Amino acid sequence: MARTLAVTVSVPGGLHVCCDGADEFSLTVPSVRAALDELERAHPNLHRSICDETGAVRRHINLFVNTDHIRDLDGLDTALAPGDTLNVLPAVSGG
Amino acid sequence: MPEKVILTIGTKKGVFVAESSKARGKFALRGPFGQGVAVYSTLIDTRAKPRVYASSCNPFFGMKVLVSTDLGKKFKETKSAPAFPKEDGRALANIWSLAPGDGKNDLWCGVEPASLFRSGDGGDTWEMVEGISNHDHARKWQPGNGGLCLHTIVRSGNRVHLGISTGGHYLSEDGGKSFTASNKGVGAGFNPDPYPEFGQCVHKIVAPMQVPGRMYMQNHGGWGDWEGPGGKRPGIGVLRSDDYGKSWRSIAKGLPSDFGFPIVVHPHEPDTIYVVPLTPMTRTCPGAMPAVWRSENGGGAWKKLTKGLPKKDSFFTVLRDGMDIDEMKSPALYFGTTTGQVWIGRDGGEKWDCLFDALPPVNCVKVAVV
Repeated sequence: MARTLAVTVSVPGGLHVCCDGADEFSLTVPSVRAALDELERAHPNLHRSICDETGAVRRHINLFVNTDHIRDLDGLDTALAPGDTLNVLPAVSGG
Repeated sequence: MPEKVILTIGTKKGVFVAESSKARGKFALRGPFGQGVAVYSTLIDTRAKPRVYASSCNPFFGMKVLVSTDLGKKFKETKSAPAFPKEDGRALANIWSLAPGDGKNDLWCGVEPASLFRSGDGGDTWEMVEGISNHDHARKWQPGNGGLCLHTIVRSGNRVHLGISTGGHYLSEDGGKSFTASNKGVGAGFNPDPYPEFGQCVHKIVAPMQVPGRMYMQNHGGWGDWEGPGGKRPGIGVLRSDDYGKSWRSIAKGLPSDFGFPIVVHPHEPDTIYVVPLTPMTRTCPGAMPAVWRSENGGGAWKKLTKGLPKKDSFFTVLRDGMDIDEMKSPALYFGTTTGQVWIGRDGGEKWDCLFDALPPVNCVKVAVV
């Protein structure tokens, strides 16, 4: 079977409206930062729902590479390998 | 088409729209829209075909501006929300005010951290207004309890008045290009200097359009018994200006408290104003008995309006945008509470009825006749 070169970005339900209903994207990017840059270029509404205008990930958004939070890895500089999934998840918070 | 009265109710859990005939008997409720997300500001824009705007302040996914072209039967997001330039370093934390501009598609928007944005296309694109957003004072303003917010935009010709908490009142006389702190007579209780140049915790400003120069302000009062540096400063909470906000004087005498959030002016009688005095420490109704207070002589004397309101055990707050008045010949007042009630005060507040008893906590109420 051919080895996939892409990583998958998984989008939470609340943000499907920002990307024409898509629940995931395939991107060929080397890092989390590059993935977000690509989202900013191709899906600006989705990007501004994940990051604020300074480029920081919003306080109540968590990014996981597969099952690991990027804060436990190298943050936005965390490398992505082919086959990885970048999971975008809202935090459990509110009232 | 018969006239309708449209009420927008921004809550902690989305925006509701209520509709009535102009008799204002029963109101039909629809919503919530922007479900589950706090709405701090709405605008019923009647300059052309009516449009309803609402700020949707999503702590997860950021700020959005919602728009409806069918009187609030459905809403969609505008193409973008205000955003600071990338190099600015600030990030939008909330949208506190939406106001009409000159052209039918022009909008003004006040945000947190305190800054001002303009749109020329009905909210699809936004541009930061440098004159206030990058004012020399901007990085010295401090957040109040609600955050560092630009919550009030009052425009008349080339004059633009802004209310900032805590920044004070800022005035532009060149259409919004430049702004000057204009707080002579506006006190600050939490500052050793009772009357600083800027930094006051202004809560709301209104201006009757019939009397040039007349303005009213609900400021952060409640400092009549202050024993700290600078001494007592009674009556700084409810103020009036007769010179376009260049100087202000107290009109709080006769009120049970000079602390409150909203202030509303009668649409046809510029001397008639309404406030909701609150106990400063608790920010709830004095004596647990809610009352709207009305002055019919520009703040010279006040009358308590309570008919129909609870007589005991009421501990709600009415927030800065939580009260409005319609423009009918005999106008009705409307206020929403942090306990999720919406009240109507018919005949200018003479008699009150509860329209809705169990909404989410109410941030803002706006009304228009369309």
